[in-house]
Amino acid sequence: MNDSELLSQLAQAVISLDQARVEQLAAEALRWIHPAQVIAHGLSRGMQTIGEQFKTGEVFIPEVMVACDCYYAGLQMAKPHLKQQDKDWFIGTMVIGTIHGDIHTVGKDVAVPVFEAAGFQVVDLGVAVPDDRFVQAIREHQPQIVGLGTYMTPTFMHTRETVEAIKRAGLRDQLKIICGGPSVNADAARRMGADDATDNAWDAVEKMKGMLAELNQRQTP
Amino acid sequence: MSQIVDDWVKRLKDKLPPIGEMTHWERLAAAFERRPTDLVPVAPQLDYWQITHANYTHQEIYNDVDKTTDACIRTWAELRTDAIWMYIDIGHQIENFIPAEKRAAHFIHRGPKDYLIYKPLAGTLDEAIGLYESRAYERYLEGSRPVTHYTPHMLQLLEFQEKMNRQVPVIVGAATPTNYAETIVEVQHFVKWTITEPKAKVHHYLQLCLDERLAALDFYREFAAKNGCEFFCGFGGARTWGPRQLAEFGEYDRKFIEKAKTIFPHVFWHICGHNLPEAMQLLAEWDGLQAVQYDMPYYSQALSWPEWCESVARLFAGKRCAMNAPTTQACCYETPQQVEKMVSEFIEATLPHTTAVVMPGCEIDSYAPLQNVRTMIDAARKYRGSSKSNRL
Repeated sequence: MNDSELLSQLAQAVISLDQARVEQLAAEALRWIHPAQVIAHGLSRGMQTIGEQFKTGEVFIPEVMVACDCYYAGLQMAKPHLKQQDKDWFIGTMVIGTIHGDIHTVGKDVAVPVFEAAGFQVVDLGVAVPDDRFVQAIREHQPQIVGLGTYMTPTFMHTRETVEAIKRAGLRDQLKIICGGPSVNADAARRMGADDATDNAWDAVEKMKGMLAELNQRQTP
Repeated sequence: MSQIVDDWVKRLKDKLPPIGEMTHWERLAAAFERRPTDLVPVAPQLDYWQITHANYTHQEIYNDVDKTTDACIRTWAELRTDAIWMYIDIGHQIENFIPAEKRAAHFIHRGPKDYLIYKPLAGTLDEAIGLYESRAYERYLEGSRPVTHYTPHMLQLLEFQEKMNRQVPVIVGAATPTNYAETIVEVQHFVKWTITEPKAKVHHYLQLCLDERLAALDFYREFAAKNGCEFFCGFGGARTWGPRQLAEFGEYDRKFIEKAKTIFPHVFWHICGHNLPEAMQLLAEWDGLQAVQYDMPYYSQALSWPEWCESVARLFAGKRCAMNAPTTQACCYETPQQVEKMVSEFIEATLPHTTAVVMPGCEIDSYAPLQNVRTMIDAARKYRGSSKSNRL
């Protein structure tokens, strides 16, 4: 089997929701193929297909969530092989977490692998994240994008407090803030000081790419 | 006998001006039975919102039955919706699965207006099965909130309903087998296990959940139905399932509804979130359901709000009363104009096909402004509940 066939089979194993096969193929691929290629052309390609199938109603949330686990299983194997210079393939960095008062992870568990598959380096702070933890992580990782996860409407209504904490720390102007979850709304998010919102991880990728372009344009003299 | 109920009955009985030609009870019952109504009924699920609207915090009412009941009746007396929903939170649902000394650590309360949330009770399917097989829910029942808060609160509201001569119905709600199956372990885990775990094991777990829920319905027969409750809401789980899960595991909730309909005359279903068309189809077919409280279209459905409402109404024609609008989110953070528009569009899209009840797909959020809640009610009151010339 050549490299291309191996990566195709790896992508197919993600699409088939076969975690054992993903692990087997990832181990084999990592012996011969550059880890960044394994991620980009094997695992991520599988996730991209899952995203397309979700949009067209061929797969649904349960299948997407299992595909995410398959992707993660392969990613965890590939990551230790990446050298610092290999990480150049990341298009941007984001810090993500579910706002304090909410411990649901169903949306974030889908969003993080989708974002990683799209080329974002994601720092996942987990659930019930206090505002000062977001501030601390922004200082540490210098992300271009902060993702605020909220599963319930009341937690979404706390967006303003988190944004204010980031503002008070003097960090707001250097990054974009996007809200995610089933209860979010872009206009309401903007009224609370964030930049955008979406309930769909693949839509979020498009929006975040636009945010990166805007930030890059701002930095260009 | 409850002092708080008697105080309210003394204040309200025979003193409230009528709204329309029907009583609240008659209006909601007629809509459920798909008969014309004088006005389109409006019955939002106010459970969290009414607590803060009555100037209590969620922490304050957590163990106080009288304050909880007071909040529900006070809010109804002010807004005159067509039903009183009993207050329900997650502690009512799962506290009897947790040993008394561990309960406090399981619940999280961010602030006075925030929902109570919880940590999962089991990390694996085997652990969840173990909880049921060891009948944890019976061993830890004593002193838990289902006993100390949920039941006395329900009985107080039903006492109010009866003493007010059934002007307004009280809606009693209970979670279905799939709702429990997901809640015990957190939804995202269970949803994945429907694919990754052996099917027989998932069926075994769901059967255990069903057995417990069928036994719970005997409690509802004894304590709700015998005390006058006629309107019963099944809080369905399976809200993020796909068609494969619905086909493989949907039977458990159907069996729950089959028994509920032998106890209550008016049974309806609550399915919040992004609704899969296949789930709506299933709910249109299950015997025993009179109405469905549904929510938003599924992610992959490119439908406008009126298109979505019409598609569901067509599905429910001759079978179910449709209940929706505005969305919980719109009621919380959109303008009153937008709230009114969503309610009007829902009613106008629905009435040509079936009856409508204005009832957002999920509970009204604590942060929803009073003006939006009032706008929702006023918007519903502008329509007759008949298929022709319905705008008043």
